[in-house]
Formats: sequence, structure tokens, C-alpha cells
Amino acid sequence: MKMLRSLLPLALAAAFGVATAGAAPKGGKLNLFGWSEYVPQAVIDGFTAETGVKVNYETYASGEEMLAKLLAGGGSYDLIQPPDYIAEALIKGGLLTPVDQAKLPHFGNLMPEYLHMPHDPEQKFTVPFMVGTVGIVVNTEKVTTPVNSYAELFTEAHKNRIVVLDDGRELVTAALYTQGKDLNAMTAENIAGTRPVLAAWFKLIKLFDSDSPKTALLNGDVDLGLVWCGEAAILHNEDKKFRYVLPKEGAHLFVDLLAIPKDARNVENAHLFIDYLLRAEVSKLVSDEFPYTNPNAAARKLLTPEQLANPASYPVTDRKLDTFRHIGDSGAAIDELITDLKNAN
Amino acid sequence: MSDLAAKRFPRPTGLRLLDWGLGAWTALVFLFLYGPIAVLIGYSFNTSKLNVVWEAFTFRWYGELMRNEPILRTLGNSLVIAAAATVLAVVIGTTGAWLLHRFRYRGARAIQTLICVPMIMPEIVMGVSLLILFRVASLELGFASVILAHTTFCFPFVLVAVQARLQGLDPALEEAALDLGATPLRAFWLVIVPCLRPAVISGALMAFTLSMDELIISFFTVSPASRTLPLQVFGMAKVGLNPMLNALSAIFVVTTVAFVLFTEHLKRLAAR
Amino acid sequence: MQALPAADAENPHARRATPMGWWLLAPMLIWLALFVVAPLLILVVYSFCSRDDLGRVVFDFTWTNYARVFDDTYLKILARSVGYAALTTLICVAAGFPAGWFIARRPPAVRNRLLLLVMIPFWTSFLIRTYAWIAILKSEGLLNATLLSARVIPQPLELLYTPVAVVIGLVYAYLPFMILPVYGSAEKLDNALVEAAHDLGAGPLRAFSEVIIPLTWPGIAAGVLLVFVPAIGMFAITDLMGGAKVAMIGNVIQNQVFKARNLPFAAALGVVFTLLFVASYLALQWRGRRARA
Repeated sequence: MKMLRSLLPLALAAAFGVATAGAAPKGGKLNLFGWSEYVPQAVIDGFTAETGVKVNYETYASGEEMLAKLLAGGGSYDLIQPPDYIAEALIKGGLLTPVDQAKLPHFGNLMPEYLHMPHDPEQKFTVPFMVGTVGIVVNTEKVTTPVNSYAELFTEAHKNRIVVLDDGRELVTAALYTQGKDLNAMTAENIAGTRPVLAAWFKLIKLFDSDSPKTALLNGDVDLGLVWCGEAAILHNEDKKFRYVLPKEGAHLFVDLLAIPKDARNVENAHLFIDYLLRAEVSKLVSDEFPYTNPNAAARKLLTPEQLANPASYPVTDRKLDTFRHIGDSGAAIDELITDLKNAN
Repeated sequence: MSDLAAKRFPRPTGLRLLDWGLGAWTALVFLFLYGPIAVLIGYSFNTSKLNVVWEAFTFRWYGELMRNEPILRTLGNSLVIAAAATVLAVVIGTTGAWLLHRFRYRGARAIQTLICVPMIMPEIVMGVSLLILFRVASLELGFASVILAHTTFCFPFVLVAVQARLQGLDPALEEAALDLGATPLRAFWLVIVPCLRPAVISGALMAFTLSMDELIISFFTVSPASRTLPLQVFGMAKVGLNPMLNALSAIFVVTTVAFVLFTEHLKRLAAR
Repeated sequence: MQALPAADAENPHARRATPMGWWLLAPMLIWLALFVVAPLLILVVYSFCSRDDLGRVVFDFTWTNYARVFDDTYLKILARSVGYAALTTLICVAAGFPAGWFIARRPPAVRNRLLLLVMIPFWTSFLIRTYAWIAILKSEGLLNATLLSARVIPQPLELLYTPVAVVIGLVYAYLPFMILPVYGSAEKLDNALVEAAHDLGAGPLRAFSEVIIPLTWPGIAAGVLLVFVPAIGMFAITDLMGGAKVAMIGNVIQNQVFKARNLPFAAALGVVFTLLFVASYLALQWRGRRARA
């Protein structure tokens, strides 16, 4: 009996907890849905301390994953970090709320070359967060031969020493580059055409990881990787033996954005957080922890010369860089190809 | 006397040999079970982040753990969800077990089978099907969706535990209470419930732990606000080794040991 | 822990259910209908639907999802999942049965202590237990460091992110689920039976295979079910220890839901998986009934 009675307050607390979880405390809340390893906890804590807004931060490891959960989750997200091509799909599908620039006093910090890009020509729905490339990182202590292209990365000598992003579109794109094809020409034939290339590559790959490919490189489980530039920049900071290379054939340039889903509940707080991220000193904090290319001119002024000289974050290059566009239903064909190949071995 | 008996009928050497082999094997199994846990806890006190070389002793990771907002928040969520699911599971499971014991229902066998389904159904199928259900019913994912999902797989465990106890119960007890003029409800409350207490408690503990540890079904039914601790741990483990996770593991293991000892104590009390 | 509880039909004092009895049972029945039966039915309906290019479900009738499940790729994944889960189960039986049996044969005081030792990992978060192995198995991890310094191996073994790592992770996660039910049925067994078998001239091996195994079959069956079924659907261990390379059916379903946005296909995979599971359940029951007969 005593046990039951002692359970009762627990039950009440539970019911109460459920009820209050729905209601907004002072300052309200913000459900942020972002890439894993992209928004430092310190930035979130700083925002909460200043505004009283509680931030629930949930993460994903690919644009596709974000889109799936967004479509599944209904109104549960207030602010998302879509990559450019996913944002384009969301805009076309009418799934975003326009961003009110009047509420973003720090919008002027952004560099004009990252505005009005093809995914959002009117700059109505998105705000650039970080920019980056996908390239090759090499542990030069273990790999002494030069690796400057996809072809040189995926060779028999590197068998089982390679980590790649667990992202079908990135892999198909790399294969398209080696074939000299346009990376946005994702026709069924083109995708099918990459099969032999990818099949050969997959035999050499040790692991697929989009969350944190740097971990396996740091642990010594692999020596080479096809990774986000930010991951390579962290590795480079950790140890200069890690070198970042943009492949000769061309590389994917991405812009990650901030956007507000159509059925977001806390639109005001989303604007508050966007503007907070646009502040020069906050944006610098992001760059300190996750060294991607910062599109914020004011923040760049605060960065140290070493940060600006990190070849992974701010590459000086004449390599061909391209952005992804929305490719409609081809995503399914890519997914099928990748699943198929992963199981062929 | 027993010595003498042992001498007169010694255990066959073959069996003794087998026993000895089995004992060694069991020792190996325990080594396999506990080795990694010991390593995990050991490294939670290491200053190095990489979990390989022993550098120096520190409590630093425990301190960081106590200040880590996402872990604390998801732990809070998990406790709320597990508590709510346990209460619901106890109510549904206990009454269900008693009713199925007390009355002969048409289709009792079918009902019993249905109850077993959530216990043994693959978690991933349950997760996907519940996600689709919530979407069809336009129930927004949040605390309610996770609690509903967790209660569904938890209550059968309570029910089965209580059922096992009921089978050993003397039916005369309740009849005596009724003969003495108690209403059926009072008889249930005053006679049956106290008898079932050990089973209810062990069922509740089972439900609570199952809910606290659940990853797969939660994966499909949480919202950002109701994210649970296992999901947070999964996310952190995916990003790489993190001594904070070692510290968390150590706390988990210590809590578990305390918890198991406590339930054993309860069982002994109940048996007395 | 008994996975196959018998229907509670033996209570001689049970009365025919009154309307009141039905009313009282109604909440539980409704719960089961809403959260067990309805989701499965909807799952079946969804498995015949298709999707638009953003991944929203379109209600038209199609067999394509099932055609895809029985496509080579997915059959291979299914076969591999069953293979890994079967290997895991086999290792768990091999490791867990003797241990469960041994524990059950101890005097009560020792027995309870040993049982506690099995319970602790059983109650500890499986994620944490999986995580423990990453630090041990990685290239520059504890195992390699130890073996290298002891000069057992000339260069680090590649263990993490291989199928071996996945099976180690699965065995580690599910071993207690085998030991406990085996213990449960071995404990009920009379020691005299075993010794009688021996007295009748059976060697230890024959006693094991002809007396011990059949008599503890219910425990083994329950253990097999408790290990095999979750092992097939597990995706966390393959993700963490297999480097997302060793896809199992659980990973594919999760990917279809959360990456490819193809719920109907995920539903079809779920339906096939469930049927597979029901078949293995029935097979175990059938084997059990034959063993009893």
C-alpha cells in the first residue's frame, strides 16, 4: 500500500510535467532542428541566458533526414537549418514561412555574394548560416602519395582506409564528377551510369559517417576521407598532419541556411535566434567551434589570421565548385542505388 | 552422516568433470559481461579524452556531466515519460490480470495472445506502425505520443507478472472477505491488492526500466521537446568517444546495482 | 521473463464474465485495439500506397513496394539480417546455456548471488554497453594496444566497423536474455534426473543432449525468441559498430522512414518482417510441442 501511495505523487508529477511541457514558460521556447555538430552548446546557452527562451536542439545528419522528419513532425519545429537544395524544395512546396528581415537588425552583416542565390532568388525565405565544401582529407603521416582527385582517393592502395559521408547524393555527385557530367543532371541514366564507378569505390570504403567522420580519422581507424570541410578544418587544427584537398574534378559547394517551417509555433523566437546567430561575436563563436566558411562579414573581421588561413575553412582555389539544385524524385533512385551497392559486397 | 552418504554414493566423476567445465565457462561469460563495463567505468576517471592511455585521475567528466543541459533535460524527459508509462501500465496491467483471472471471458485465449503481441513484436515494426498511426490520427508527436507508445509495450509485462502471482493465490481469501460482508470492490482493494503487491512492484520496476532504456520505439515517436535520454546518448555515441558518456555509464551502472539490490531486498521481504 | 505465458484459464473459481466484467476490461481492450491492432492494420494499408516526390503518402493501390521487397537487394539484406541474428542467437545459446544451467545447479545462496550478477548487465542500458565496446575495439583501442604490447600480433587488428564488431555488439547486448530463461527452466529440473541418466550409462555428452536439452527446451525457446527477434530489427548497434556499412533490416526501415521519405516501402518491409517473425514464432512453438509429446 505504501508503495502505491508513494507512486501517487510521482504520477501527479508526471501528469503535471506533461501539462507544463506544452505550456510556454517565461520567454517561451524554440524547437531548433539542425545539423549535428553545427551549433555550439555555448551559443544556445548564451541565447537562453539573454532571452529566457528554452531551446530544444534536435539534430540530423543529412538534408534528406531533415526533410523526412520535418514532413513527419508537423508543427514541432520552429527553426531549421536546411542545405540550399532542400530549402529550394521546401520553398517550391510552400513549406516555409517568409523571414521578416525587419526583425533582423544584424542581417546587414552578411556578405552579398551569399544572398539571392538560385535556391532563394528573392531572399525571402532563408538566411545563410554557414558555407562549405565537400573535399578530401588526408592523414599525410600515413599516406605519402599525393591525393588530389577522387580517382587518386579511391585506389586499391587505400582499401579499408577511407571514410565517406553517409549521404547518397554526395557520393553520386563525386562519381558524376569523375565522369565529367553535370552534378545536377540527375537523370535516371546518369544515376545508373555511376553504378560501376561507385561499386568499385564501395569495395574500398571502410565506413560511412555523416555525423562525425573526423572521429574515425582521429582514432586512426581510417587515413583518408571524403568529408565536410568543417570536419577537415577541425582535424587540421588538431594536428597539422591532416591536409584538406578540393578534388581536381570539381567539388560540391553548399550553403546551409536558416529557415522557418510553415507551421512553426514560435516564429518570433525563431527570428530572435536567427538575429542572435547573425551577431558578429556569436557567429565568431560558431566559427571557433565548427570552422566552416563564415558568410558573415562582421564576424570574419573578428577571426584570427590562423582561422582565416585554415585551408579547409577558407580555401584559396581555382577548382570548379558547384551548388546542388532540387532534383525532384531522383532522390529515390539515388537511395535505391546506394542501398543496393552497400549490400553488394 | 552426510559425509558418509557422500562417500558411499560419490557423485560420478564424469558429472563432476562436466560441472567443473561448466563453472569455468560461466566464469568466462561473466568476464565477458563485466570486462567492458569495468573498462568503461575506469576510463570515466581518466583525464585523457581518447580512452586509451591512462593519464591521471579526475572527476572532471562528472562535473561536466552535471552541467550538460541536453543530458539533464533529456534525463528529465525520460523520467517523466517512464513514470507516466509505469503508472498507466500498472493500472491497466493489474486490473487486466485480475479481471482475466476472475472472469471467464469469451475469447480469453485470443485476448491473452493479443496481450503478448506488444511484448514480442519487433520494436522497429511497432515504432513505424505507431508513427504512422499518430500521423493518420493527426496526433502531434510529443510527450503524449511517447507515453502512449511506452505504455503499450510496458503494460503486458506488468500483466504477466501479476498473472503469475494470481495463479498461486488462494481463491478462498476473496470469498472469505465477501462472506464477511465486504463489497467486491473493497474485497479487491483490501485483500487482493496487498497479496499482489510484490508482483505489481516487480512489474512496475520492469516497466520503468524498459521505458527508461527504450531507444527504437522512442526514435519514431518523440518530438524535439520530448527527446529521451537514450536518444541523446545514441546521438553522442555516434559523434564519437566522449568521457562524459563514460561518466554517465558509471552512474547508470551504480544506480542499476543499487536498484537490483533493492528489488532483491523487497523480494526477500515479500517471501518472509 | 517467460516469453510464452500460458493462458490463465485454469482458475476453477472464475465466473462467466458479467456485463460489468466486460465493462471493466474494456479500457484494456480498447487500448490494445487502438495501439496494437489499428497501427498494424494501417501499416498494411500503407504498404500498398505510393509517395509523391516530397515523400507524402498518396493513396492508390500498388504492389510495387512488395515487388521491391522481393528485389534482390532487399532479399539479400533480409537474408543477411536473419543470418547475423541467427549467428548471434547461436553464440548466445552456446555461451548462455551452460552458464544458465550451471547457475541453476548451485546451492540457493550461491545461485542467488550469481543470478544478481546476470541481472545487473540485463538492467543496464544496452546503449551504454554497446558504447563500451567502441573504446575496446577501435584501431588504437584497448584490445589492440594490449595485444600489440604483448606482441601477440604484429599490427593492429581491424575490428571496429566490421561484421565481427556487429556480432560482438549483438551478443553482448542480448546474452543476459538467453541466460535468464535458461536458468528459469533449468532451476525447475530435478538433479536426480541428470544423475539417473548418468547411472543408466549415459556419458556427460549424451546426458546433455538427450536429457538436459529436451528438458530445458522451453527456456531455450524463450531465450531464442528474446534474442533473435530484437537482434534482427536492431539498428543502433549496426550504426555504431558496423560503420553504417553492414545494413540490416532495421537500418533499412529506419532509412526509408527518416532519409528516403518512403513510408509505404518502410511499411511493406515492416509487414514482411512481421510475417517472418510470426513464422519463426510458430516454428518454435511447434518444435516445443513436438518436444513435449
